[in-house]
Amino acid sequence: MRPKSKNNKTLTAILLIAPFIVCYLVVFAYPVYKMFAMSFTDAPLIGEGDWVGLENYVRMFQHKLFYTSVYNTLYFVGLTVVPNTLIGLGIAMMIVRLNGMVQAGILILFFMPYILPVTVVTQIWQWVLDQQFGVAQPLIEAVTGKRISVFRDPLWAMPMVALITIWWTNGFNVLLFISALRNIPTDYYEAASLDGATRMQQFRRITWPLLWPVTALVLTLQLIMQLKIFDQIYLMTQGGPFNSTYVLLQLVYREAFGRNQGGYASAVAVALFVLIVAVSILQYQLLKARGKS
Amino acid sequence: MSGVSLSNIKKAYGPIDVIHDVNIKVEQGEFVVFVGPSGCGKSTLLRMIAGLEETTGGTIDIEGVDVTHLEAAKRGVSMVFQSYALYPHLSVFDNMAFSMQIARRPKDEIKQKVDEAARILQLEDHLDRKPSQLSGGQRQRVAIGRAIVRQPKVFLFDEPLSNLDAELRVQMRMEIARLHNQIGATMIYVTHDQVEAMTLADKIVVLKSGSVQQIGSPLDLYDNPDNQFVAGFIGSPKMNFLKGIVNEPRVDGKITITLDDAPNTTFDITSGSATLNAGDAVTVGIRPENIGLEHDETVGPTVLLKPEFTEELGGVSYIHTQTKDGVRVTIERRSERNRIDQEDLQVTLPVRDLFLFDADGARLR
Ligand SMILES: Nc1ncnc2c1ncn2[C@@H]1O[C@H](COP(=O)(O)OP(=O)(O)OP(=O)(O)O)[C@@H](O)[C@H]1O
Ligand SMILES: [Mg+2]
Repeated sequence: MRPKSKNNKTLTAILLIAPFIVCYLVVFAYPVYKMFAMSFTDAPLIGEGDWVGLENYVRMFQHKLFYTSVYNTLYFVGLTVVPNTLIGLGIAMMIVRLNGMVQAGILILFFMPYILPVTVVTQIWQWVLDQQFGVAQPLIEAVTGKRISVFRDPLWAMPMVALITIWWTNGFNVLLFISALRNIPTDYYEAASLDGATRMQQFRRITWPLLWPVTALVLTLQLIMQLKIFDQIYLMTQGGPFNSTYVLLQLVYREAFGRNQGGYASAVAVALFVLIVAVSILQYQLLKARGKS
Repeated sequence: MSGVSLSNIKKAYGPIDVIHDVNIKVEQGEFVVFVGPSGCGKSTLLRMIAGLEETTGGTIDIEGVDVTHLEAAKRGVSMVFQSYALYPHLSVFDNMAFSMQIARRPKDEIKQKVDEAARILQLEDHLDRKPSQLSGGQRQRVAIGRAIVRQPKVFLFDEPLSNLDAELRVQMRMEIARLHNQIGATMIYVTHDQVEAMTLADKIVVLKSGSVQQIGSPLDLYDNPDNQFVAGFIGSPKMNFLKGIVNEPRVDGKITITLDDAPNTTFDITSGSATLNAGDAVTVGIRPENIGLEHDETVGPTVLLKPEFTEELGGVSYIHTQTKDGVRVTIERRSERNRIDQEDLQVTLPVRDLFLFDADGARLR
């Protein structure tokens, strides 16, 4: 009987996806809903609060540290997203020209930092950049003329965090670009070189357009990831010096766990959420337009 | 003036030699086909002419200029790739215009040239499309169009039709032949399909394991193969080969041969070589169309064959048979249609149509 077997199928389907739905509701949908709800209350970190309407948001827009955090977050995004993508592409283009084992070996070298936990990464770099013993200090001294305690200098702190982030995460981008580059048939380059295209022209007219979908993907992944910057900052500068590395998640953390202001922290988190959605949509539209032209 | 001339060309990949001392002269405006089995070095040779592959030894001349160490773009050659190598993100127009855009030619010149090529290849209606929106045959035409637009001295084709279905292949083959008549440029064409070679070429170069086996016009190769390899490679269906043994060489330049498959008969045949001794192994070759279905011992030896199956193509049919030792022999028949089933056939191999090869495959007659 057909209708019955169809019912059976539906039941099986529901049973099979139920665990996922339950998990999703419990650990994702409910907390998200709760966050939005809390942002309209004066709740502490634990426990319920009273409805206060838009008060948290009004306060947020009058809070100087909020603007500093937004600015710093965007500054960090600007320092990392595009450079990280371009560096990844550059390294990938060099690596694909090697062959066999050499290629694999070099690729592993570049990918290695990516598998390190963030704590190890920050330890390594605090040691490398240490004002007294840091192996990078002679280089800094050669360029600037003096040794600099980079994590205590408002001018240097954020760019250094960005540099470390690029060092840490670049291997993944290299990997994505390498697989994309390998997918471009060598025939295209041979045909182009017969047509008299220089390496630069080959890159501009063949490699870049054919790579664009992957480049757009890398840019978008980077953007979302870097907007959520927190770990490196928390471990290296705690937002200092003089709030020069204070970012949005840091603010959420401070309000929620430092000052027991669950409601206000939720409001800032909502703001970060809106920022990520808005910037991602904007970027997606821009990338799509570029890809078409 | 010669279009392309290869002198003592060698190619080695590390310790492995893949092209050995190749000498080929291609006249200007000639259509030359390199043919040979897979892996014999046809593509390598073509890519060396194009400049996509380094030449290990020897010299390549194009229209009197030594281009051996010139970069690909400066040699004045265009290549049509087996994969077409059309840029997927560019329209048909931009694909064809690519070389001129690279050279920064004026816009109206580009348009005029591309339009002309599109007209020759009947692509006018597809200029705005992307390659993915074209059929296989149309893509092939775009690839050829891209080559035409550059007005090269030499066109190089590397198995350009192998991705097309049989019918389209025949059609494109004719279009390429027509194109050659129309623009009269030197063309070098690589294929492993000997029918393509026979139908297109002014001159065929047969290659085997990186060495030239024979160079000549299609009919030349058919009628006068230099060795057993060429004899077996050119012609469809293939020439039949039967093993035999020399009974006695004689002073009048004739030898007497016994075929392994017909041990009771001997026949005399003129041999070009005087070095044969009694007991030497030889191979006798005969084309499928020359085998006589009637028993007539006066024209040549007769062999008993066991028919296996027959391909009926209408005007012509091929009877596939085996000798008692299991050697396959194909017989071509025209006009007669009565079926020959199972019963054994006593066929005649007319001596005047026989080819004779020594144990190493060199032609004796
Ligand atoms: N990069 C390479 N390194 C080593 N050997 C190679 C390389 N390229 C080709 N060869 C060898 O050179 C020989 C000739 O190759 P080529 O591609 O010219 O053959 P082909 O005649 O075009 O065959 P096909 O009909 O299959 O295309 C082959 O034996 C191949 O294994
Ligand atoms: Mg080939």
